[in-house]
Amino acid sequence: MKTFVCIKYVPDTSEAEVKVNPDGTSVDSSRFSFDINDADNYAVEESVLIKEAHGGSVTIVSIGPKESEVMIRMALAKGADNAVRVEDSRIAAYDPLMVARTLAGVIKGQEFDLVLTGCMASDDGQMATGVALAELLGVSHAAMVKKLEILDGKVKAHRELEGGLMEVVELSLPAVITIQTGINEPRYAPIRGIREAQKKELKVVNLDDLGIAADQVDVSASKIVLEKLYIPEVVSKAEIIEGEPDEKAEKLASILVKGGLV
Amino acid sequence: MMMSTENQTFAEKLDLFGCIQCGRCTGGCPVTVRTNLNVRRFVYDAKNEEMLEELSKLAEIWDCTACHTCAVRCPKGLKPLEVLFGLRTLVVESGKTQPTVRDALESVFREGNPWEKPRATRYDWMEGLEVKIADPEQPVENLFFVCCTIAYDPRVQIVAKNLVKILNQAGVDYGFIGENESCCGSEVFALGEEGLFEMTVEDNTEFLNEFQARQLVTLSPHCFTTFRTRYPDLNKPVLHYTQLLDQLLQEGKISWNQDLPKKIVFHDPCYLGKQSLVFDEPRRLLKSIQGVELLEFDRSRERSLCCEGGGGKMWVESESKAQRLAETRIKDAKEMGAEIVAVACPFCVLTLEDAMKALGYEEEMRVAEITELLGELLA
Repeated sequence: MKTFVCIKYVPDTSEAEVKVNPDGTSVDSSRFSFDINDADNYAVEESVLIKEAHGGSVTIVSIGPKESEVMIRMALAKGADNAVRVEDSRIAAYDPLMVARTLAGVIKGQEFDLVLTGCMASDDGQMATGVALAELLGVSHAAMVKKLEILDGKVKAHRELEGGLMEVVELSLPAVITIQTGINEPRYAPIRGIREAQKKELKVVNLDDLGIAADQVDVSASKIVLEKLYIPEVVSKAEIIEGEPDEKAEKLASILVKGGLV
Repeated sequence: MMMSTENQTFAEKLDLFGCIQCGRCTGGCPVTVRTNLNVRRFVYDAKNEEMLEELSKLAEIWDCTACHTCAVRCPKGLKPLEVLFGLRTLVVESGKTQPTVRDALESVFREGNPWEKPRATRYDWMEGLEVKIADPEQPVENLFFVCCTIAYDPRVQIVAKNLVKILNQAGVDYGFIGENESCCGSEVFALGEEGLFEMTVEDNTEFLNEFQARQLVTLSPHCFTTFRTRYPDLNKPVLHYTQLLDQLLQEGKISWNQDLPKKIVFHDPCYLGKQSLVFDEPRRLLKSIQGVELLEFDRSRERSLCCEGGGGKMWVESESKAQRLAETRIKDAKEMGAEIVAVACPFCVLTLEDAMKALGYEEEMRVAEITELLGELLA
């Protein structure tokens, strides 16, 4: 089983205040810590579990700065075999389609059975990259997968749907699977393993190396215009329902019905 | 399985053949009252290299709180608890450790603290305070090392804040390190992440040695003992802050403006007391406060009962549902009529205060770090 895993280096915005820069279209990231995107971490683990059970190889692909190599080395320490890091400031990285085109540029032309990636990016909330990548590679896909079974030339993917439903689909390989968190328990990358992983190949490339024309993935190619980022205004509205318990219940029921909530 | 370093076997590295199976380790181990941990048995079985993997799968290896009672009591000078850390190493290096442990260790690696907080916010506690920051180019008498827990946990940040107030008032020559301070590795060592601990010691030694300070003063007993005993190349002596304040008190440089007519019992933190033999300084500080009646636990000084906050236990919950040692400790304090349980360790504050709340004693008593009390008396 030859697997590619696409991972993203993202800021953890839960522990520091988010501030928009004066340009209005970027965020001050100086006080954030950065780490692998949560769902991508599960994708790495899944790829290593598949390799341990069925053999094969795992290649990590990421678009990101030099600092993200810590994250890549951790994935290599966990059991991935080699990695490609794309660094090129021309990529319009806020647009999942441009990201998918770049990732496809790395993978296309190489043999593969599976491409795994997280189902969602925790920084911009996009969930389109994996699916767009499948389209660009011309292979089938399953999104939001919480259980993956490897069969002969196929995979059985258990997809998490709305309302707690699970959909089970069979896909012939090769395929792209976007992984939902909780599919496994990501392992720890011990420091001795990370040191050992320094020996594994980590190739750094740009758009020219990949043979991708910049005007296919840059701001001019993107249909998305990032106009403005802002912190949602905090507003509060609370209505205290007065009266006897039965009156309160009646009023509450009528509010819920009117609001289409029941 | 072989677990050897520099051609030493597991048993040779920990000198397990020196063990005479006298049982003083197990006899003194405080967690045996609530878990199945039998450290003597582990020392015996771990001599057999072939058993190591099997032993590493036993849940009890995570019950040790690193209080060091077994090491203090061992007549052969062995450290039985380190057998458990060695077994933890096997688990951690296989990658299959508990998610809480994984997250704490990854956080130390990436951000220099086990609390999953950004490095950039390490010194947010300083906001609104006049804190002197040390410059490696300028000589300074006292270089202060703030522990990760005190830097980030809002409950115990008061330790650092009050210490700054005391130092400023006493006119002490000091400097804090600033944002580049990184975890001392105390809990990394106990959790068995040998590689990360080695890296931490190397990086911190190089970083701290650059400062032209006469001494390094730590706020947490965990950093204190770790720097003192596991950093062979550190180029300056290490003190716990209670030692420095005690000196300042003897020299008449600090005094308290108010009385505190309370019955106070001091809980000896394991890393300050039995591991570093600092017993009298915190007591003298408390006695220096007018009105304080200082009580003593039956189990005090070398025999102090562990609060279960060390040994990486902040990230590993015991399977046992038996009464926590911290609850035993708080009940003992209440029984002797203590109004304040004073401690000198951030972990002890958190575990003992939790126990006090769980027992519903909040109205009647209080758990306080010594600097909390001293800070209140400065005003």
